[in-house]
Amino acid sequence: MAGLLRTEAGKGLALSAPASLYVGLLVAAPLGILVAYSFWTQTYVEIDKTLTWANYLEAATDPLVRHLMLRSILIAGAVTAATVALAYPIAYFIAFRTQKKTLWLLLITIPFWSSYLLRVFSWKLILGFNGVLNSALISLGLIDEPLTFLLYNEFAVVLTLAHAWAPFAILPIYVSLQKIDRSLLEAATDLGCSKLERFVRVTLPLTVPGIIAASLIIFIPTVGDYVTPSLVGGSQGKMIANLIQVQFGPANNWPLGATLSLVAMASVGFAAILFAVLATALGRRIR
Amino acid sequence: MTDQNIIEISGVEKRFGTFTAVKDLNLTLKEGEFFSLLGPSGCGKTTALRMIAGFQDHDAGSIRIAGQDMAHIPANKRPANMVFQSYAIFPHLNVGDNVAFGLRKLGLSKADMKTRVAEALEMVELGGLQARKADELSGGQRQRVALARALVMRPKVLLLDEPLSALDKNLREAMQLEMRRLQQKLGITFVMVTHDQYEAMTMSDRIGVMFAGKLEQVDRPEVLYARPCNRRVASFIGGMNFLDARVTGDNGATVDVNLQGFGPLTIDVNPNAPARSPDLLAGIRPEQLEIGAQRPEGYDACLQGTVSDIAFYGESVHYYVRAAGVEQPISAAVPNYFHTVDHKRGDQVWLGVQNASVIDLGARDA
Repeated sequence: MAGLLRTEAGKGLALSAPASLYVGLLVAAPLGILVAYSFWTQTYVEIDKTLTWANYLEAATDPLVRHLMLRSILIAGAVTAATVALAYPIAYFIAFRTQKKTLWLLLITIPFWSSYLLRVFSWKLILGFNGVLNSALISLGLIDEPLTFLLYNEFAVVLTLAHAWAPFAILPIYVSLQKIDRSLLEAATDLGCSKLERFVRVTLPLTVPGIIAASLIIFIPTVGDYVTPSLVGGSQGKMIANLIQVQFGPANNWPLGATLSLVAMASVGFAAILFAVLATALGRRIR
Repeated sequence: MTDQNIIEISGVEKRFGTFTAVKDLNLTLKEGEFFSLLGPSGCGKTTALRMIAGFQDHDAGSIRIAGQDMAHIPANKRPANMVFQSYAIFPHLNVGDNVAFGLRKLGLSKADMKTRVAEALEMVELGGLQARKADELSGGQRQRVALARALVMRPKVLLLDEPLSALDKNLREAMQLEMRRLQQKLGITFVMVTHDQYEAMTMSDRIGVMFAGKLEQVDRPEVLYARPCNRRVASFIGGMNFLDARVTGDNGATVDVNLQGFGPLTIDVNPNAPARSPDLLAGIRPEQLEIGAQRPEGYDACLQGTVSDIAFYGESVHYYVRAAGVEQPISAAVPNYFHTVDHKRGDQVWLGVQNASVIDLGARDA
């Protein structure tokens, strides 16, 4: 044993063992169970363990599944786009325009000091029928009746999540901006670029990896989010995860829930890879 | 080189807070000249270069390029291009696109652009490497790409910030000759910043030596070597023995001095070191001293001492000789092909010097 630990391979195994064990027990094993369930069927109280594609057929043909899956991906896409668009200028400011980088990085993590649920409820208080925003607008005399399009729709979901995810987008983009050698920017200026051209032709393409990382970090968990849509999404803000939750909960159809989970994972994976490939290709086109 | 002035800098000053990086800089460069700013790190030479490029504003004075005042002209509109110390090769672009970067702004046809990129790469001997990725380039190749990328813009002035400092010695020496050849062929004014005296001397038409923000002397390399204006410049260019000299008689173009250790000599007055006082500082290049076991014949002054150290440089051997009345050991260099000269530590030796080899460096405290 002691001899094994002295070899490079032995050391590598020893170092990775805890993580492998953890991942094996908490990711691989549940995933295996999920796959198994997806090929079984729910009879009234029992699970029929004959292998069948029936759940996959149902998932593929049910218009509700397709509709919710599409909406989930669209909402997640909107959240990702909004978050990255809002995060980029902040990351840029921290990387290029301030000396107090640590202070700013600390400040952007402050929302994490309160629970995610509390933050979602705060948005309810702000956007609600008698919420902060409506009361303020009414007392200012700008509107006569409370606005109803603020809460319980896709817009509320996008707004809430874009706020919640902001630090996850700012950090990777900040890192990729920070890594840019400042002499590259001077070289671009020296070769005739204005500040805007310099941004488009040098800064932006060099931060594509950061943008991709930020986008995936946000997009993947957003597709599967069910807390936010159920709290602020209303009926038109429901997403695929809400349907999955129903299968494992009230509907008590675990096999279908497992299938929907796997279908959602595959769709997200496909969308994410497609996005990463497209973004990389677009970045390469800038000369 | 023509008689046309291309860069005229007068009274330029740059302060960072309370620190003055460049003081009262005055400099006029001719079209087609290869000029080097030489000095130790932190002397303000890079700041001066960046002010010409437009990356830094100047607090006082004026900078003119090709007769045009640069005061309100941003870096991207100046008729000067720069080769950066880090080369600043765009990592997301291949060699061809790096070189074409500035050309895309000029609205050239695709065919013209291709031709100019190919020509520029040809010029730096990287012909046909357009598709090579930035991260596949060696240090020397990166330097060439940076050069091609700047030269393809056909600038009036090319600014080079320590362009060879990242290369190993052999490559650096090869590039020195190559860049000099290129500069003479193109007739573009090169302004190079370097801390390497040999680099400055082998490449430049003229050299400006800077210390602590001040341009101390501007001259051709030969003059700078033979007639440095003070102790700082003399010690930065080549090796130099410093000795005190008491002036005993003034003959106009020459002075009679009593040189520390050596005795009476008559030396030329250095026009570059006008500061005069009863005591002046004299310099003798190590290779100008004769060393021998016997008192050398036909020298204007001699001194006897003991060899305290020997340094072997390959092409030459340096003997350090301690003599009575001289605090620092005097260094004498002997070309290595004189195998007859072979002194050992502790040997008694004679040093001989001619009047013409003693350089007047002006007042001791200048």
